[in-house]
Formats: sequence, C-alpha cells, structure tokens
Amino acid sequence: MIPAAFEYHAPKSLEEALRLLNRHGSEAKLLAGGHSLLPLMKLRLAAPRCVIDLGRIHALRYIREENGRIAIGALTTHTEVLESPLLRTKCPLLPQTAWEIGDVQVRNRGTIGGSLAHADPAADYPAAVLALDAEIVAASADGTRTLRAAEFFVDMLTTALLPGEILTEVRVPVLPPGTGTAYRKLHQPASGFAIVGAAARLTLGSGGKVERVAVGLTGVAPKAYRAAAVEKALTGKKASEKLLAEAARHAVPQDVELLSDLHASAEYRKAMAVVFTRRALEDALARAQSKKR
Amino acid sequence: MATATRYIGRPLKRKEDPRLIQGLAHYVDDLRLPEMHYVAFVRSPHAHARIRSIDTTRAQTAPGVLAVLTGQDLDKAMGVIPCAAQLPEMKLALRPPLAKERVLFVGEPVALVVAADRYTARDAAELVEVEYEPLTPVVDPEKALAKGAPVLHPQYSDNVAYRWELEGGDVKAAFAKADKVIRQRMVNQRLIPVAMEPRAVVADYQPGENQLTVWSSTQIPHLLRTQIAAVLGVPEYVVHVIAPEVGGGFGSKLNVYAEEVLVAHLAMRLGKPMKWTESRRENFQATIHGRDQIATMELAVRRDGTILGLRCRILADLGAYYQLLTPLIPTLTGLMICGCYKIPAVRVEITGVFTNKMATDAYRGAGRPEATYFIERAMDLVAAELKKDPAEIRRKNFPQPKEFPYATPTGLIYDSANYQKSLDAALKKSNYRKLRAQQAKLRRQGRYLGIGLSTYVEICAMGPSSAMPAGGWESATVRVEPTGKVNVLTGASPHGQGQETSFAQIAADLLGLEPDDIRVVHGDTAVVPYGIGTFGSRATAVGGTAVYTALTKVRDKLAAIAGHILQEDPKRLVFRDRKIFLKSNPAKSLAFAEAVSAAYVAKTLPPGMEPGLEATHFFEPSNFTFPFGAHVAVVEVDAETGEVHLLRYVAVDDCGRVINPLLVDGQVHGGIVQSLGQAFLEEAVYDENGQLLTGELTDYAIPRAWDVPRLETARTVTPSPVNPLGVKGVGEAGTIGATPALINAVVDALAPFGVRHLDMPARRERIWQLIRRARQAGSRPTARRAGAGRDRRVR
Amino acid sequence: MKLQGSYTLPAKREAVWQLLNDPKRLAACLPGCEQLDVVGSDHYLVRLKLGLAAISGSFSGSVRLSDKKPPDSFRMNVEGRGAAGFVQGEANIELVSDGDQTVVRYSGVASVGGLLASVGNRMMELAARRTLEQFFANVASQLRA
Repeated sequence: MIPAAFEYHAPKSLEEALRLLNRHGSEAKLLAGGHSLLPLMKLRLAAPRCVIDLGRIHALRYIREENGRIAIGALTTHTEVLESPLLRTKCPLLPQTAWEIGDVQVRNRGTIGGSLAHADPAADYPAAVLALDAEIVAASADGTRTLRAAEFFVDMLTTALLPGEILTEVRVPVLPPGTGTAYRKLHQPASGFAIVGAAARLTLGSGGKVERVAVGLTGVAPKAYRAAAVEKALTGKKASEKLLAEAARHAVPQDVELLSDLHASAEYRKAMAVVFTRRALEDALARAQSKKR
Repeated sequence: MATATRYIGRPLKRKEDPRLIQGLAHYVDDLRLPEMHYVAFVRSPHAHARIRSIDTTRAQTAPGVLAVLTGQDLDKAMGVIPCAAQLPEMKLALRPPLAKERVLFVGEPVALVVAADRYTARDAAELVEVEYEPLTPVVDPEKALAKGAPVLHPQYSDNVAYRWELEGGDVKAAFAKADKVIRQRMVNQRLIPVAMEPRAVVADYQPGENQLTVWSSTQIPHLLRTQIAAVLGVPEYVVHVIAPEVGGGFGSKLNVYAEEVLVAHLAMRLGKPMKWTESRRENFQATIHGRDQIATMELAVRRDGTILGLRCRILADLGAYYQLLTPLIPTLTGLMICGCYKIPAVRVEITGVFTNKMATDAYRGAGRPEATYFIERAMDLVAAELKKDPAEIRRKNFPQPKEFPYATPTGLIYDSANYQKSLDAALKKSNYRKLRAQQAKLRRQGRYLGIGLSTYVEICAMGPSSAMPAGGWESATVRVEPTGKVNVLTGASPHGQGQETSFAQIAADLLGLEPDDIRVVHGDTAVVPYGIGTFGSRATAVGGTAVYTALTKVRDKLAAIAGHILQEDPKRLVFRDRKIFLKSNPAKSLAFAEAVSAAYVAKTLPPGMEPGLEATHFFEPSNFTFPFGAHVAVVEVDAETGEVHLLRYVAVDDCGRVINPLLVDGQVHGGIVQSLGQAFLEEAVYDENGQLLTGELTDYAIPRAWDVPRLETARTVTPSPVNPLGVKGVGEAGTIGATPALINAVVDALAPFGVRHLDMPARRERIWQLIRRARQAGSRPTARRAGAGRDRRVR
Repeated sequence: MKLQGSYTLPAKREAVWQLLNDPKRLAACLPGCEQLDVVGSDHYLVRLKLGLAAISGSFSGSVRLSDKKPPDSFRMNVEGRGAAGFVQGEANIELVSDGDQTVVRYSGVASVGGLLASVGNRMMELAARRTLEQFFANVASQLRA
C-alpha cells in the first residue's frame, strides 16, 4: 500500500478521539476496521491529511443487554456479531447479516460502526438495522444524541452524522416471541458486496396472522430503505406463501433511483429485489412458525 | 526403464511447501539491497492519444527524487520490446519501453520516476504533467476492421496485423455432401491472468565486475537474459538473471516486459540498485491478457453424426503492440481446432487485429482452451441439432486407439491416445445415465439441472525446435558432489508446478537414493545451463527428460566405476538403497557415496576415464505430446435469478505416465478452477473509450473457494512414445478441458428454454434474461418456482 | 455515460441565462470550485475539488460555452484532469419558460478515464448526477438571493 502521506493518531479513549477530530476537522478521517478507507487511500481516491485510528478504544467494543435492548459498541467486529450468543438468541438478524459480509478476513477486521458510518449503498448492515428499527448513537464534544436508523442514511456514502461526531453504539431490540428473521443476499461476484440484500423480520400473532413485519433493502438504491409497501401488504393478514410472494412484488417503490453497474442493470436489480425480499420473508416466516410451535 | 520405481508414481508431498507455507521463501519484493532506489511509472489514462508534452520539472525537483525519464530521454539507450513470433506477412507492432509520440492503451508507461523510497517515487509520479491530445480509440475488434476505422499504427493502412490460413483435406467437397451444416459464432472473452504475486524486478549493476544482476518474477530467466542483453545492447555475459520464488505466472510471466528492461537499464544508468513492484492495478492494465478470440465455427455433418468437415474463422484481438508471443497464440487455436475428432477436411482463417488495449499473449492453455471451447461447443450443437446424446456424437467421431500416431489435417501427429477409454471412465464415474434420468425428473419439477461434457486433447511438451519460435529443447545438468549428494540443475523454471519434488523422485529412482539426497536447482542463469523455461506444459516432458538422460549418463559412469572397483560387469549392477550392488549377489556392493568419492579422488578409476561426476544433456523432443481426457460438469441453474451452481465436477485426465499423482491432481484442480473463472465469472471489460472498467479485484471476479465443489478426479494412463519417461504434461489440462464442459452444462440446463448457445462468462443477468424472454414468448416451461437457491456457503 | 435531466429554477429565462453566462456567478455555483479564470470569450479555466464523503479529488480543466442562442440554448464543454483521472463532458442546455420559472433541460455525454473509470464504475454515474443536482441547487439559491 502506497498512500499519500498522512498524519496518524491512535487515541485510547473516545474523549481523546473527539478532541482530535475537533482539532483536525474535515482534514481527518476516522479509521475503524479499514476495509473501506484503506482501499480508497491505497488508490489515492482518498488522501486525508490525518487518520484517527479508533482501533485502540477498547471501550467501544462490546455487546450487552441494557434496558430491554441490546447495545453493540461501534468497534465490534462482524465476527463478534456473528458469534455473539446474546444476539443469536435475542436478535438473530444481525448475526445472520454479519455472516454474509465479505469473507473471513473482512469479518475479522471490519466493524459494525465503520460499515454504518461509511454508508456504502451495497453494504449489508444497513438493511438489517433498518428492519430492526435500530438506534444509532453519535458522540460529539457536546454530548451524545440518538438517531433512528430510518433517519441515519441520507444518501450514497452520506449519513446524518455531523462533522465532529463519532458513531459509538448501535442499539437493537430484543425480538419478541414468535418472531423470525432472515437476511438473503445476491452477492456481487467480485467484491462480495450486495447487489441486493433483503433483511426481513416477521412476528406472528394469533391465528397465524402477521402481527408485525419489517423489510430493509440494500444494494438497490443509493441508500438502504424500508420496503414500506411490502410491510403494509402483509400486516394483519394470515401468512401464506402466496401472500408473501404478492407482497414482495412491492419491494421497489416507483420513486427509487435504481443503481446500475457492470454486474447488474437497474432492471435486473429491481427483479432481484423482489425475489430476495420474498426469499427473506419465506425464511423469516418459517423461523417464526418453528418458534411458535 | 530398468530402474525400480520406488518414488516415481508416488504422491510425495512437495519439498517446496515447508518454506512457502512458513513464510521462509524469498520473492523479488523481499530483496533489499544497500542504497536501493524505487521506480514508479507514469501511465497513460488514455487508450489512444498523442503526447503533446511532458513536464517533469516539478517531479524532478521533489526531495528524494533521483531521476525522471521520458521516452525521449531513452531514445538511443535501448531497443524495442522483443517479439519472438514470426508469421508470413505479419506487420510489426513493436513497443518502445516508454511511449514516445503516442500512447496506444490505458496503462502504457509514458515516464518513470526513480526515488529513494517507494512513497516518494509514487508521489513524484503524480507531479509529472503530461498533455495528451486524445484520439479516437479502437476498442471493438470487429469495428477495428471496418473501413474508415482509426488506424493504430500510422505506418500501415489498416489494423490487420496478419492473416493466417490453414487447409487440409477437401473442405468444399465435405460441405457439399453434408446433410447439415451447423454454424455458430462464439466469443472467447479477454481474461486477466491475476497471478497472486504481481510482477516485480530488482536490478543491480556492479561496474567493477561489469555485472548486471536482474531478479525478476519470470518463467523464462534465460530468455529474459538474452533479451535484456539485446535490448540494452550489452554482451550477454554482463547480464545475470535470477528468478527467485515466483508467485504464479500462468503464462503472464512468459514474457519480456518494458518494466523489466527499464529497471535493468536504470541500474546501469544511475549506478544504484533499483526495485519495481507492480501494483494490482498495474497488473490488470499492463501485464498481458489472455484469449480474446471471436470464432465462427461451421461443421459439415452427416445425419448419423459423422463430422465431414470444419470451417473456422477467427478474429483475434491482439491489443496494441506485440509482446513476446502475441501473434502466435491464435495459430495454436487453428492447429488444434479439430480436437480429438477425426475430421477429414479443415479450413481455418485467422485475422489478427490491433486494438487500443493491452496485448494478449500466452495465458494458461494459450490458444488451446479457445480451440477446445470452439470444437466442444460445436459438438454439443451437433448433438442438439441431431437430437443425439452428446456422449454418442463424440464417441462416433473419435479415431480408434489403433490409429495412433494419428495425423490431423492441420498437420500435427497426435502421439498416443485412447479417447473411448477416458470418456467411458468419466461417464461411469459421474454415473452419467443416472444423471440424465435425474435431470428429466427435476425438469418436471421446474428445476434445471445441466450436464456438460468435454472430451479434449491438447498439445503439450513444447516442443520440437523446428516448430518453436526460439528453441523447444530443454537442458539439465546432474552434478554429484564428492559426498554423494546430488544437484539436479534444470533449465526449466518451475514456479509452483512442483518439479523440485518430481525431479527429485526421478533422480532418486535412477540413482537408488532418497529424494532428500537430491536438490533441484533452477532459475539462476549463472548456475544452471541455458534453458528455455517453464510454459506450454513442457517442464516434465521436455525438462524432465533432459534430467532423466543426464542422470542416465551419470549412472552409467558410476556403474563403470563401481564395476571396476567390484571387478564386475557394470551392466549387472543395481542402484538401490544408496548402494550399488550385484543384482545376483546383493552382498557384493559398494555404497553410493563410495563410488562417487572414487570419481573425485580419482585413484581407482577405470583406465582413461575422466575424473569428476557431472553430466549435462540438452533434450530435443521429436514431437509434441497430446494429453487428453473427458470431463463432466453438473450444474443447476436458478431460474429465478440466473445463478449457476456447480454441483459436481468429474475429470478423467490422461497425461501419460504420472511422476507424482499429488502434483497432477493439484495442476488439474487449479486448472479447473481457472476454467470456472472463465466460464462463469471473468471478463476484462473495456468501455467504448478503451477504459478498463474491471480495473481491480472489486470488479474483476475470480473464483473463490466457495465456488468450487469437491473435484472428482481420475486418470487413464496412455504413455507417450515421444520421451523415455512416457510423460505428456498436465499443467494446462484443466483450463483446456473444463471451460466447455461447464458452458455445455449451463446450455444443457437452459435447453428447455430453447437456449442453444451462451457466450462466456455465463453471467446470471444474461441467463435470467434468456429465461425471461423464453417465458414471455410462451410455449416454454413456466415452472412457478425454481431451485431452492442453494446458498453459496455451507453453514 | 449519458446524462440527461431537467431542473426547474425559480426565475425567468433571461435571469437564468445571465447567471449561467456570468463567469463570476457561475463559479459560485460550480460545486467545489476553487478557482475560475476567464481566458477568452466563453472560455474559462477552472480548478474544482470534487468528492463524495471520503472520496475526493482535485481537477483542473476548462469550461467552454458555444452555439449560444440567447436565451434559448447553448452547448457546454467541460474538461478536467487530476491524479484520479480525467473527466470530459459535453451537453446541450436548453432553457424553457414556465411562467415565472425556467426549466433547464440538459442532455449530454460524459466520459471518465484513468483511476476513476477503472475503480469508480459503480458509483460514477450517481456521483455525476449528484454533482449536477448540487450545481442546479446552487444556481437556484443564487437566483433566489
């Protein structure tokens, strides 16, 4: 790797990191797992004057249950998410999603906070945090604020984080009984990113009716989004294979600006969004049903 | 061979591996010399442009920069990049090491920077300001031939590099009497070799000794040495080339590159050791590409499936300039176009064309994967057209085993084969009939299984010098040390193939030693005799035979010495267990080391025998060898997404006698996986402006472990009569045999949708479109739900 | 890469025309414009710093206006190069009155070369669209001011 010259800081605490970020402002880039920033620097598409490596702030690396929610430190790696017994039992959608990220090396280095803050339109986590109505905590010199996932993603590579803020925590709910989740993904064959990634969360109520459902889609548009029309078509209805297939057809709203690249045209992406939404819903339903029994 | 085969044929683990897997091996980039300087290249972002001006002022004055050079600065210092190929009436398109007036592809170097460290070099390269006047690029090889297309090389009137024709038998008559003519246009797409280690060069010049040492990640150290001497205009003895550990080549390092000669030149010009290590991006843009042929195949067939004749027109995209063998590669496709079939009449026409891209050249298989793909796809088209089983169409057209050596109408002599046997073995191993039954059953359920066959023959062991551009022989020296340990020096240059192990196995058997008694040395032009190198599946069949013959000479001499000491007829002596003994009375023996010592102490030698124990042999093969085999691929297509899942892969290969089955399996596995890359994933995509869109591994997809099922390999053994070992070569078999099997399987899976052919790579979107179109047209199966969409990973 | 679209601006055609043909005001609207020098009639040299989140690059190049038919249409030719590669584009720009507003329709072709082309493929078109949107948003706010 032969990047342009940069100044390197490795703060050991969040406070120190925030001070550095304030001092260097837009000249600085935060380094977490490095899977997005370092390739950009290697190619010199990014040439920050200053890199603030968050890797030594061990206090940002945890998964714990707090006040009925599960809090995940921003520097938690994908592997840690994937292997967490707490998440696997109480919020399996995140481990299911982490499993589909990159390869072993990527999962061992990449972090949930880094991935969300970078907001790559083809990253996996955004679909899951949207489907989970997660909360995202941002710290700055002035204190912390909590953002809803739905307001966090603004555009391609752009989030609601303000200059001077560091993403510190993601909070996801403990899923209620009768809930099934799934993440289904069509991989871009070279990079492993999502051409389409569909995260589904489905809670069955009495009589096999869909009590609550959420679907997040990534890879399809400049930012991940909730497939509201799919959710509406399902809520309160008796779940069946046919119903899921019909609902999934609404995966891509009219006004979505579809992505298109070498690996998938807009047309193909749109069709695959429908297929993978249905598959994710089917898996989620099957899991919800098996838990009901 | 009157030798016990205690090691030949055994699956010995590779002697190379301990150092490789422990990180103890040395690649070029591991070298660090005092005062080493680093080279960075300024490369063209334009596919076709005139260079208006180059301003190096800012780069030159940057701290730490030793020199900045452009094409003009080098003008008289060096020659052009060599091309060894010569075809009749071929236009020359030789490349200056740095572009002068014009650039002809994205990534062509226009200037270079030398600095004290690689960071400074790279920074300074960005300070070189080049003004370009963009010219219209020529990207599509078919459009390149059109009237009025811009011409790459202004000294010529068009972009045709050469036309090459070959005809054997009465083609007109064959087509006249055919019941049917099967015709198909097929594209064998451009590929990027992607060796794990990119290219790297270190050069150091010592003026006192007048020695230029060049370490390069190359497959051909000796040829590189000769060419560096020629390009730099220095006597060959000045140049010393070392190929240390080489992290993959696949043909991409069977070349003489601008960067290699430039780094060598800089070491002499500036008096400091120089290093250049290619980035992956440079590797994609400026290391040779492979394949890139468009063929129109026509087969004249009788209703019963007999092939009467073949016509093939090939358009070969050569890129902008020639590299070492560029123009020659497509002609190998022409020579092998008949595959393993008895086709009495053939006509091949090849047009080589210049485009604004990196040169194509030898990439694993080099011309033969294209030939095999074209003929094997065509055979499946024949089967489909005549509604016959693809296995039967193939069997019907095989020459009989007794017909070997078999002369093809393209002028080759296939040495030995039994195609029926390998096909039978592959059908049996795959349980072909059961697969067909399963396929029918699944189709009724709306699931699309595809079974693809390929029966291939390849041309290997390159080759007789009369048929090679610059010598096809190989050398070996066997030097036994006074202590009885053996050095085998080979002119071949293995870089992953495992000859340090297999040659030690040959030597151990011939001399009655253990493999650990033998060290195989290669890749250093000051140590090993002049050799040709490793490519074209030649190292064992040609290089191994040189080793074998040199060993025989040493053994004969040792037998004479031992016979003299033991007072026995040397012919009655046996070499085994580090001893030389009388066959009829093993007690009458001499330790191997004692006999060797006698050769050096020289007191008990037979009268008139010269002391020492060393023999060299240059082996000139009388013919190529022609390995063959039969592959079966089983895929399932997900009709909803167009994804292809490879479920099974059965490969029965015949590479003649096997020295080490583990090495053969490794070669076959790697080759099949590379084929999978070509069939399903890989393509170098240039846009209409000649920009390489697949410029990094984020967009150029190569196979991953999870793409590959357990490969089921087996062998038949038909020894080659061309060399005493009976070996044929296997380095490229997988890439040659597998690609058509994989695509035939996909097309077979899509047959219910009326799909007849699909160009590579079989992208899922393309498959999805074909299925959708068929469904929209009605009349095609409209299974509600396709395969379960198997996850790519097993959890 | 084809670029096509329209943007409605809150002013009459003449005012829009004036702004687009006034180098100083144009410079204020060009996203990331660090410098704009007039080197001839309807010919400017510019230095732009363009980027998206972590990705950024400096480009220097030129803008030329031609085929001017005030206040209906003109052609715009943009060329820029930097360490990340080069950008070239040509567009036909049409101004259509819509009451007190003006609809700007643009249609053109842009190409990128070098690093941007070989690694930026998947985001390039969107990035171009966003840059144009930013430009028109800037124009709109200038017109409002």
